[in-house]
Amino acid sequence: MPVLEVDNITKLYGESVAVDTLSFTIDQGETYGLLGPNGAGKTTAISMIVGVLDRDAGQVRVGGRPHSPADRRSKALIGYVPQDLALYHDISARENLRFFTKLYGMSRAAAAREIERVLEAVGLADRADDAVRTYSGGMARRLNIAIGLLHRPKLLILDEPTVGVDPQSRNAILASVRELAGEGVAILYTTHYMEEAERLCDRIGILDGGRLRAEGTRRELVGLVGEHDQVVFKVEGDPAHAVPVLEAAPGVGRVQRVEGEDGEVVAFVADARAAMTELMAAVAAGGVAVRSVEVREPDLEAVFLHLTGRALRD
Amino acid sequence: MKALAFALLGLRRFFRERTNLFFVVLMPFLMIFMMGLMFGGTSQVRLGVSGATGEPLAARLVASLGADDDVEVVRVGSRDDLVSRVERGELHAGLAIPAGYDTTLRAGGRVTLQQITRPGDIAGLTAGALIASVVPKEAAPIKAAGFAAAQGAGTFDETYRAALGSAVPGLDVKVTTTGEAVMPHGAAGFGIWAPPLLLLYTFMTALIAGVGTVENRRLGVTRRAYSTPTSAGSIVLGETLGKLVITLAQGLTVMLGSALLFGVDWGSPPGAAALVVAFILVGAGAATLLGSLMRTEAQAVSVAVILGLGLGGLGGTAVPLESFSDTMRTVAHVTPHAWAYDAFTRLVRHGAGLADILPTVALLTAAAIALFTLGAWHMHRALTR
Repeated sequence: MPVLEVDNITKLYGESVAVDTLSFTIDQGETYGLLGPNGAGKTTAISMIVGVLDRDAGQVRVGGRPHSPADRRSKALIGYVPQDLALYHDISARENLRFFTKLYGMSRAAAAREIERVLEAVGLADRADDAVRTYSGGMARRLNIAIGLLHRPKLLILDEPTVGVDPQSRNAILASVRELAGEGVAILYTTHYMEEAERLCDRIGILDGGRLRAEGTRRELVGLVGEHDQVVFKVEGDPAHAVPVLEAAPGVGRVQRVEGEDGEVVAFVADARAAMTELMAAVAAGGVAVRSVEVREPDLEAVFLHLTGRALRD
Repeated sequence: MKALAFALLGLRRFFRERTNLFFVVLMPFLMIFMMGLMFGGTSQVRLGVSGATGEPLAARLVASLGADDDVEVVRVGSRDDLVSRVERGELHAGLAIPAGYDTTLRAGGRVTLQQITRPGDIAGLTAGALIASVVPKEAAPIKAAGFAAAQGAGTFDETYRAALGSAVPGLDVKVTTTGEAVMPHGAAGFGIWAPPLLLLYTFMTALIAGVGTVENRRLGVTRRAYSTPTSAGSIVLGETLGKLVITLAQGLTVMLGSALLFGVDWGSPPGAAALVVAFILVGAGAATLLGSLMRTEAQAVSVAVILGLGLGGLGGTAVPLESFSDTMRTVAHVTPHAWAYDAFTRLVRHGAGLADILPTVALLTAAAIALFTLGAWHMHRALTR
């Protein structure tokens, strides 16, 4: 049974449709990314799913039970990390966390235990008693996430959690999310950073203008637009010698010698990682001396462009 | 329980800010002090008297001066001391009785009394009026006794006793009030002004406290709290509870402090406490609604100040309701201030008790509940739409 079932949810603001019949599901331990540019309707969709915004149509089920803004039992299953730093800046991280443990109805002992756990998890244990206003942007973001993890939710919803964060903190946040998914938490992750969605998500939904344009694994999405992985060989000597060798290798669609590049030959394959062993065996058997190999996978930017006719960052 | 979490955190954050400590703890005491200076203290005239110690006629004059409840007679050693103390303001006025007062009068001689006051001192003028009325009354039997003694009717002491004992018909002026006096005897100063000032101040403070609700919404904390298993009602109640405690503490501090430090009479303690609590609940309810309606803190502060001063002015906290026309008095009762003002008037000026003002307390409580409900409904709407 999916942890989250979103069925045709719709939000209207007057004549404007902010979210249009959005549907998807997330299983336990799965990370689902909602990818879309700013204004695509990601935050509106998230707000309806979390239960802080009324829907105009559609259903949401969390842990198998119907979910609505008034349903406190299903809210207890959700951890929500909003895009804004929704915390008090004039008190410490520990005080912020303690406040939210009370809202989750946790006992004093459980609260103390979970506060220490999440502080460790986000790397803020040594600054736990400092006022949040003294934190860097990245530290405040990590605290923002820690609040969502306090009650060990079954479903964690993160709305653009890495906006305005330095690379180090961003990596730490992504690592934490992967770890949580590994522990079985279902994760809904919205972002407009293509690389994050590719690195993190098992499945991705591409949202634009409030509508889900496509959904699937990165490979499935890329497949939708007929793109292939590229394995780029830099070879010693005449690259023309390498072309027939690679063309004969199993799984290779076509081979292209790159003009202007010194000794560079590109093999187009459906799945570079799967084909790599056989490709390397083929070039070795064909007597091609390889200086380096690089895998270039088609990215979601190309998919988004194909689906919407514009770039993701427009 | 969750509302309590909101309230306790709100209180902790509020008192951690030093400027807030000033406004909550020090400001009320400054206010009490200012009120005390402006309206407090005793209404008794302090009249100093020097000279003629041990002389019976002089002693009788001094006793007559002190017979009025509104006059406190203070014996002073010398005329110079009397002048000095009047100059310093320790005494409102002085009366210097020359040595040999009794001997001179008994001999039928003329005695000159010296009145000492500061120019323009209202209390000094009051003392002067008192002296001007008491001295002729005391002089009349002395003159009669002197005349009779001179006619051979007896010694001065005998004729003086006879003069004091004779009932001479005089002219009395008696003032009575029909119906209910707007300002009963003794109602003055602080007793009149303290309640409206308290109403103005506490309502304004309650409204200003509602700005915190707007801040929480802007930070996104309110919406995040609503994403937890917490109802909108608990959030609204919690947001308001902390501010309510602060405003109540302020109101009761002002009442208690002014009563202890300046002897302000707030009327029946249970009545006054119930009235203040009900009135502050209305303020807190209005603050809840304000906090749910406004989008920015600056907007909320502006509206709070305009509403606080506007409703306060209309409700009789700037100009007494008694001076309003009948039409304006009716209009004024759209404000909670006017209702509370009327109830305080009955408590402070007419000795009413809790039972007498219970309908007003009930009305204010109902208004508070209506405002809370409206505020909670709008907060829920603001969160989910």
